[in-house]
Amino acid sequence: MSDKFSRRDFLKLAGVGTVTTVLTGCIAQKEVKREPYMQMPEYNYNGQSTYYATTCRECAAGCGLVVRTMQGRAIKTEGNVNNPLNLGKTCARGQATLHGLYNPDRVRGPIKHARGESLYETPVDPDADDFKNADSNMSWEDALQVVADALKNNKPEEIAFLMGTASDHLFDLVTDLANATGINAPVRFSALNMFESRATLSQAAENLLGEAGLPFFDVGGAQVVFSFGANFLETWLSPVSYTRGFAGLRESKTKLRGTFVQFESRMSSTAGKADEWIPLRPGTEAMVALAIGRLVSELRGNPLPRAFSDIEPLDVAAKSGIKLETLEHLAEMFASSTGALAIPGGAALGQSNGLAVAEAVLALNAVSDNFGKPGGVFLSPIAPNQTEYQRPASAKEMQEFTQQMADGKFKVLFVHGVNPIFELPASLNFKDALKNVEQVISFATFPDEMAVEADYVFPDRHGLESWGYQRVATGAAQPVLSGLQPVVSGVYKPDSTELLYDARATADVLIAAAQLADGKFADALPFQDEVEFLHSKVSSLMTEADGFFSAADADTFIAYFQQNGGWWKLSDARGAPNVADVLNRNISGAESEFAGEGEFFFIPFVSPTLAEAGANKPWLQELPDPTTTVMWNTWAEINPETAHELGIENDDVVKITSEAGELEVPVYLYPAIRPDTIAIPFGQGHTAYGRYAQNRGVNPASLIGQRLNEAGDLAFAGMKVKIEKTERKQFLSRLESRIGVYNEGMEEH
Amino acid sequence: MKTDLNMMGAKGAIVEEAEGKWGMVIDQDICTGCQACVAACAMENNISFVGEEDAGYGRTQHWIRIERFWEGEYPEVKMTPNQPMLCQQCGQAPCEPVCPVFATPHSNAEQLNLQVYNRCVGTRYCANNCPYQVRSFNWRDYHIDRFHANKVDGKSVYSFHNQFNPDVTVRRRGVMEKCTFCIQRIHKAQDTAKSEGREVVDGEFTTACAQACPANAITFGRVDDHESLVSQLSHQKGGVKHLEELNTLPRVTYLKGG
Amino acid sequence: MIKRIFDWLIQPLGLIAVGIGFLAVFSLAAYGINSTQLAPTQPIEFPHDKHVNASIQCLYCHPGAAKGPAAGIPAQSKCWGCHQQMEITETSELLAPLKEAVESNTPIKWVPVVMVPDFVQFNHRAHVAGGQNCENCHGDMTKVTVAENPQVFNMGFCLNCHIKSAGDDHEKLVKLTDCGTCHY
Repeated sequence: MSDKFSRRDFLKLAGVGTVTTVLTGCIAQKEVKREPYMQMPEYNYNGQSTYYATTCRECAAGCGLVVRTMQGRAIKTEGNVNNPLNLGKTCARGQATLHGLYNPDRVRGPIKHARGESLYETPVDPDADDFKNADSNMSWEDALQVVADALKNNKPEEIAFLMGTASDHLFDLVTDLANATGINAPVRFSALNMFESRATLSQAAENLLGEAGLPFFDVGGAQVVFSFGANFLETWLSPVSYTRGFAGLRESKTKLRGTFVQFESRMSSTAGKADEWIPLRPGTEAMVALAIGRLVSELRGNPLPRAFSDIEPLDVAAKSGIKLETLEHLAEMFASSTGALAIPGGAALGQSNGLAVAEAVLALNAVSDNFGKPGGVFLSPIAPNQTEYQRPASAKEMQEFTQQMADGKFKVLFVHGVNPIFELPASLNFKDALKNVEQVISFATFPDEMAVEADYVFPDRHGLESWGYQRVATGAAQPVLSGLQPVVSGVYKPDSTELLYDARATADVLIAAAQLADGKFADALPFQDEVEFLHSKVSSLMTEADGFFSAADADTFIAYFQQNGGWWKLSDARGAPNVADVLNRNISGAESEFAGEGEFFFIPFVSPTLAEAGANKPWLQELPDPTTTVMWNTWAEINPETAHELGIENDDVVKITSEAGELEVPVYLYPAIRPDTIAIPFGQGHTAYGRYAQNRGVNPASLIGQRLNEAGDLAFAGMKVKIEKTERKQFLSRLESRIGVYNEGMEEH
Repeated sequence: MKTDLNMMGAKGAIVEEAEGKWGMVIDQDICTGCQACVAACAMENNISFVGEEDAGYGRTQHWIRIERFWEGEYPEVKMTPNQPMLCQQCGQAPCEPVCPVFATPHSNAEQLNLQVYNRCVGTRYCANNCPYQVRSFNWRDYHIDRFHANKVDGKSVYSFHNQFNPDVTVRRRGVMEKCTFCIQRIHKAQDTAKSEGREVVDGEFTTACAQACPANAITFGRVDDHESLVSQLSHQKGGVKHLEELNTLPRVTYLKGG
Repeated sequence: MIKRIFDWLIQPLGLIAVGIGFLAVFSLAAYGINSTQLAPTQPIEFPHDKHVNASIQCLYCHPGAAKGPAAGIPAQSKCWGCHQQMEITETSELLAPLKEAVESNTPIKWVPVVMVPDFVQFNHRAHVAGGQNCENCHGDMTKVTVAENPQVFNMGFCLNCHIKSAGDDHEKLVKLTDCGTCHY
């Protein structure tokens, strides 16, 4: 005790402290109120959870969810065991979907604002008394009138819809509206699909397998899998389903442990699971696939088919950087297996010769003769209530769309479920083109970049609050229509029956606005609400045979549809491709062309944990990247040898320049990348999108140019960049520094 | 009474007790490192996220993390099989005896290492003594950090609190925490079984991580029931228990495969 | 400075002042502790005694106690089931809030009487199934109007009963005294 503060003073203070603690303790307790149900649902008791089946809307794959709710709050998402696509499993994004539902930065209601004006303030100063949330400043009645006027007062060809890939029921509604009224057919886009090069895959399937669509690769049934850039354990097509396939490849009661070889210049977390990682030179995927095809044909003693006749393995070895012995060893592995499978995907297709790569790799499957056989290539079943595969827009189609905007063809643009300003390469100038659109209406749930650039934001409900359905494009053997239903009625203000996030389903908004606009619009959507529209679409499945359930009347059918989280057929409906002359055609084995001056190949890849829209969910931010263990930021992966030559160390900020732009990003010395390659994850670098995403990391899309491949997909991996060291350092938060002794790897801090 | 296994010396002598009650098998050959288990664990157990700066200081609260190591140098570099690391629920846990306030007792009923939050005073001795480095400390009141607040009619509202699992305590600052093998699910399953007058069936419930895992790499169950899937898997060839040589009697078996 | 205060304190007046101060602190603390044990003010002065004396079982209104963790508060549709048939509902002033709540379709905001802290995981079902009667913890409701706490729900209270009810059953004792049974 010091002179100034005696023991007695201390005791006195302690006494007062005790009293205040006791008093405040009981005051706090008395503030608690319990509200009983007005009408207790049957078979329900307080303190018991209720489970609802719905569908994940974090990506477009359509995995079934069962959500645990308690007293009107969603507590936990689990996979729906019955849904044939994911069989009860989820990915990290599906788990974190609750952080979207309860995100503090959700748009709170309809907003009218000046374009470019921020919708909220990030609470930089946590002690500030008040900070701006994305508050509503108009009523839904006025909002409906705005939408109705936009539909009614413009010519049909001046109205455009730009939509994301989820959910499908809204797309169908807008398509019906467009067909009936002559407004432009809705355009769908997602950065995930852009980085998957879906158009290329679909085009290759049409050229070789006779039908456009996404091929189904039966990884689980295969014995040897060669993947050319397909990151199917991360975000590619349907990651949960493909991960199950991978587990089947490795562990099966009926066959030996399968082998997996990945060809790509940077070891992705998919490649990390491969038995062999082949770091080929970017741009040589097509010739490597053809060379392996030729070697396999020779090993088998088959006559050399036309597809492989022009390729020279020795030449390929020199160009690709793969030793001839390695090529021969791979060919032997492929040739000697009874179930060899080759998958094209990812960055391999996002190059100027992407279509040739896809064709060359698909052709390898012809050598293995696995089309339509277990462990081989199938055609994905067409989803219920669909007649053919609907492909989202390719980069080329987005270019055209943007050009139409820039030319002033559209007077009003509706945007739902996509954030093109963030997701499209900056070089496309979507933001500038937007200036020539008179009225932009966004239906964003979160205040993303697109919402900031809109005149109006009319927030849609979160996926867990929504009705709808999602068609499973690929990943399941059966045709699957996953159903959505609201698992909670909304997020409420504390002790209030008022909604905190007064969002309204976009389908409801469009139906109500169409009624207001009257005339042909009202005739096009003659529904009371979204649910009635949904029933009209779903009940048509009642008459179909082979369903997971059936019902005699529509009401029962709809009830089962909700209860089970969708409808699917029971039997395998994967198609066997018609493959008469796959090998009897010319496939170019030429190297791809690279745009730009620099000396490094540039590989942008989708962050496995964040993907295109996960950055505003704090737990996804805190998930370490599977390969680098970096959290909460963007990094550039550089080979340690290269970095050493350039005098670059971990956490040094480098400036990367491409022909389309430049950015500054801290370095992660990545041991598993080619010395001539640089990779940056896509997912961060938001300029809006809430406090957890904004001003965090960089967006590699700002480096990507506008070059396309033959199928119209973006040649996002067909670029060369320059790198330059800056004087700055930015320390990346990594999980790996925690492992081992405390403070290991943290010396610089 | 419980026998002091250290005194008994030879490993063979302790096989019976070494088995434990609840156990886990993780197949590293099929774990893809996708982080679904990490997210599922966080959502189930009300785990706080700590933000970029604290994460950089190694203060993340992951109860399960996926370790990956590098072998060799380019181009012969290899990523070792992903290794999900979580509390091994040791039979002889090094964390237990060092706690001065008995906040990390051993559950004799469930054969788990417990963390009693209301008793913990935050000495962090347990974390320092844990050879697996799986305990994490609440350096701040992360979940009521005003940065996460939503202003509603002038008041701070934490909308993320809506998502809290009512079956799991929300931890405050100054408290140690770690994986519990989802003890709330164990209790719930036991309670349900008891109310129906039966025993808990193998596979009836599982931990949040195992339930989410898209590759089905995690299996959870009774290791003392030799019919259970987890018991059969754990006796497979290639099963490894980490740092077994420390005689910690870990309850998690890793299958290396390959 | 300190010396001067000390000198003043040891003279008689000072000692009296210290005594008063001590008493004030003590009585405030006593009041504080006592107030945690007072029955809170409820929106309706609910007479438990009348309901119990009318032979209504506890589990009729609180069925959750036999089924799960929370006993639950009855939905007002349940109250109304009986009360709409009773004359007293129209006349009694005490019942006016119920009538109003039902007619305006707003929930009645009850104040919880017994609450365990967040770090205690309590399950009613196990206790009821284990043969504990409601009054063992909540007191004799035939004599109580507005519900109140008959005892302090602290760990000693719980543990005493756990040890007692385990008796000679060693396995049961291990389970009932395990930290992980209530704290996780």
